[in-house]
Amino acid sequence: MSDLVIRELTKTYYDLYSGQHVTAVQDVSLELREGEFVSIVGPSGCGKTTLLNVIAGFIPPTRGEVLLDGRRVQGPGPDRGVVFQSFALFPWKTVLQNVAFGLKMRGLGRAERERVAREHIALVGLAGSEGQYPHELSGGMQQRVGVARVLANHPEVMLMDEPFASVDAQTRMTLQEELTRIWEAKHPTVLFVTHDVDEAVFLANRVVVLSARPARVREVVAVDLPRPRSWTALVEDAAYKRLVARVLALVRTPAP
Amino acid sequence: MALAGTVLPAPWWGRPLRWLVRQPAWRTLGPFVPIAALWALAVELEIFPRAFFPGPLEVLRAFGSLIYKGVLPQYLQDSVVRLAVGTGLGVLAGVPFGILIGLHTRSYRFFWPLVIFFQAIGDIAWLPILLIWFGFTLTTMTFVIVYTVVFPVIFNTALGVRTVPLEMIRAAQSLGAPRWRILGDVVLPGALPNVVTGLRNGLGYGWRALIAAEIIVGTSGIGFMMFDARRSGSVVEMLLGMIVLGILWYVVDGGILAPLERATIQRWGMVTDV
Repeated sequence: MSDLVIRELTKTYYDLYSGQHVTAVQDVSLELREGEFVSIVGPSGCGKTTLLNVIAGFIPPTRGEVLLDGRRVQGPGPDRGVVFQSFALFPWKTVLQNVAFGLKMRGLGRAERERVAREHIALVGLAGSEGQYPHELSGGMQQRVGVARVLANHPEVMLMDEPFASVDAQTRMTLQEELTRIWEAKHPTVLFVTHDVDEAVFLANRVVVLSARPARVREVVAVDLPRPRSWTALVEDAAYKRLVARVLALVRTPAP
Repeated sequence: MALAGTVLPAPWWGRPLRWLVRQPAWRTLGPFVPIAALWALAVELEIFPRAFFPGPLEVLRAFGSLIYKGVLPQYLQDSVVRLAVGTGLGVLAGVPFGILIGLHTRSYRFFWPLVIFFQAIGDIAWLPILLIWFGFTLTTMTFVIVYTVVFPVIFNTALGVRTVPLEMIRAAQSLGAPRWRILGDVVLPGALPNVVTGLRNGLGYGWRALIAAEIIVGTSGIGFMMFDARRSGSVVEMLLGMIVLGILWYVVDGGILAPLERATIQRWGMVTDV
């Protein structure tokens, strides 16, 4: 069982400039079951990324806790792989070395880790680019490496922080379809943070809508659209349109 | 084609000229041709007395004879070895120290005022006391070079360590990298562009410090040769020394620094190619 449980999580900052305590995330509770794809959307600047950073263990919560398999999260670890908006690839490592990095850190031998890395490079459609350096790849290809790097490490949950926000619109649609394909093939547990409502609905089994700052869970919307999903099919789909309209209304209107 | 008839026939020297301009040696030496020509012209016009202002050919002749006598190669070797040893020690000390104060806030708070203070004293200002302590020895010269090299290396390494993107370190952490591996696999390579800048600055300053030290401490070396030439009034040797200094920097830059950069930070796309 690799359930991710977030229990009454609150994160308060001390803002140096205003000299005040600012609450970014307030009493957020959430559960992810193994193999589930959950999107988190909310108004801009609501504290989505703060929430993800706490779950990743990059910053400690002020109150509440994050449990993975019943174990309390304390600091970052390989059980929670993170895909960043800025890709955060290592420029001095080739694609192969980037993807094999986590396995190398866990002490796998060269032959074994390169086998697993090649497998995941192929999974994200980059077979043949193993020897290239990140700067030689397009933004979309770089983020494929970012996804492969996390999946090759077999985390219990993959945390994605607006991963497709810095690629162009057409590449983004391709990447979204690729991600659903990979999820259908491997069923990793995914927590996907985005401000893009279409993206959130397209990808997920459930969409968690957060309120404006401080972020609270406003509503959880189940997405029962059939898979495999493609933009060509969904763009005309009535059920998809209804879900998007509903989530969009929740994001754009202030909480009662 | 109607327009073809309007194209002028290429002059016979067009092709060899284009070939010449593309040669790397020409690209480096080309700009010096007019300088040398002006120099030769000034000498021919006898604007200054010939004894104080010898021409390019005389310097070239002196170059040949000093090489033949073995003086220049020996002095050159002495200077280069001193610079290499001093720079090596400076980098060995400066990089770890720069990493320490770049990463560790308490070390930074403690050491920073000291670094600023001692950096301000300057290499040459140490020479009087060094001469009392160590005399006219290699130790004195090595101290001066290490002292000169180490500060730019410390500053730039510390800066480089701090400019490694936080998300890169976080990515390594959430891939399971322990702290010491993050240091070697992320922080060090991430700081490399700045470390190379520090090395380049350090070498440049160290080179100057070496010449100054050789002039004062000197028993051999290019700086010594130039200052020693003053006694015999040999302006030719002084000019020769100056030219050798310039050329040697090209060799250090083109033979060591530039290939190092091409193999690392340029290959990784961490700096824009020039």
